[in-house]
Amino acid sequence: MNQHLLRSFTLLCAAGTLLFGAAMFAKPKTAQNSGSSEDWARLSAEKSLGNPNAPIKMIVYDDYECPVCDELYEQTLRPLINDYVASGKVYLIHRDFPLPGHLYSRQAARWVNAAARIGKFETVERAIFDNQMAWSEYGTENPKGIIKPIVQAALTPAEFKRVERLMQGCEGNSQSQIKGCAVDVAIQRDFAEGELLPVRGTPTIVISARGQQYPPMQGAISWPILRQFFDQLLNQK
Amino acid sequence: MTPSSRWSVGRVLLLLGRLALAVVFLAAAYGKLRPQNAVPWTLASLKITPSSLGLSMTFFAMQVDSYQLLPPRMVSPFAHALPWVELSLGILLLTGFALRYVSLASALLLALFYAVVIRSYALHLAINCGCFGPNEKLDSWTLVRDGCLFALGVAVTIGAFVVHRRNRSAAVAS
Repeated sequence: MNQHLLRSFTLLCAAGTLLFGAAMFAKPKTAQNSGSSEDWARLSAEKSLGNPNAPIKMIVYDDYECPVCDELYEQTLRPLINDYVASGKVYLIHRDFPLPGHLYSRQAARWVNAAARIGKFETVERAIFDNQMAWSEYGTENPKGIIKPIVQAALTPAEFKRVERLMQGCEGNSQSQIKGCAVDVAIQRDFAEGELLPVRGTPTIVISARGQQYPPMQGAISWPILRQFFDQLLNQK
Repeated sequence: MTPSSRWSVGRVLLLLGRLALAVVFLAAAYGKLRPQNAVPWTLASLKITPSSLGLSMTFFAMQVDSYQLLPPRMVSPFAHALPWVELSLGILLLTGFALRYVSLASALLLALFYAVVIRSYALHLAINCGCFGPNEKLDSWTLVRDGCLFALGVAVTIGAFVVHRRNRSAAVAS
């Protein structure tokens, strides 16, 4: 009886070790379910600012309708873009993370992604954030969710026509409507990448330098404090 | 239970509470001072160098800043001082030196943390807590945990004062 028990226990231990080993060597989860990787990488580069070989990389997971994202953009990212991105110290990468609770953030992300495809990411992102109060559900103007005129005002007529063509079939937030919108593929991929981190809210910042990644940072951070961190990273021997 | 055995149980509880509080403060200090780009509780995370220390504290300053409570010029001094205050309190609690005052200071600090967490939760700030290191979301669990820690701090403080008074009365009587 005792021997039988011992044998069962040994078998159980061996099976457990095998399972543990398999789990350890299994390929890590990656977000490759949505969209071709090359297309996503190309668009990702369009949604990035600065020198890709900069010593510091900063990824920002944003939701265009979140007020704190707007605050971060206006008070921290703008001076960052004008200073450290322009001087080649920081490579700023934008990722979309439209929160399901926000009615119009996906639509805003679609406009920005469509603009990114024609090389107008920075212009349209700025217009969307600068006018957040005009179109967001937390904004003061009615009716809400009217983003098209804001994008139109930011682009030339020819550019807007190209962006509008890319936006065909992009209305609503339901699953079937997301499938019908080509621009959504990249947004979904950004979202999946964020979920792997995991991004738990917006804005979330991920900083890496010298091949080492720092843990995700959530919330708005003021420019003087962020600059202090960047200066220390740049002065690190 | 006789009064003397009840007294012994009280002393043991005070010792356990004091040690638990010490571990909490030491863990909180370690979470802030360790290299933030290393996996916690690994050998790499124990390799604290002057350069990694500076980066860790500035990284913590970003977390303090995300609470949107202090003006930017106050954020950095506060973030650079807090881990050392926590480390000192942890060591002092561990040794039991000046327990009444150290436990009182600990309870006050825990009350401050609790108030800040309640405020952030009430304002729906989607931020990291930063209490025991990075990437720790501030949610309802943080509220419960910080409430329990504050209660523990108060209990240890009361216990420290009671024990001190009993010891003094016993000394006078003998």
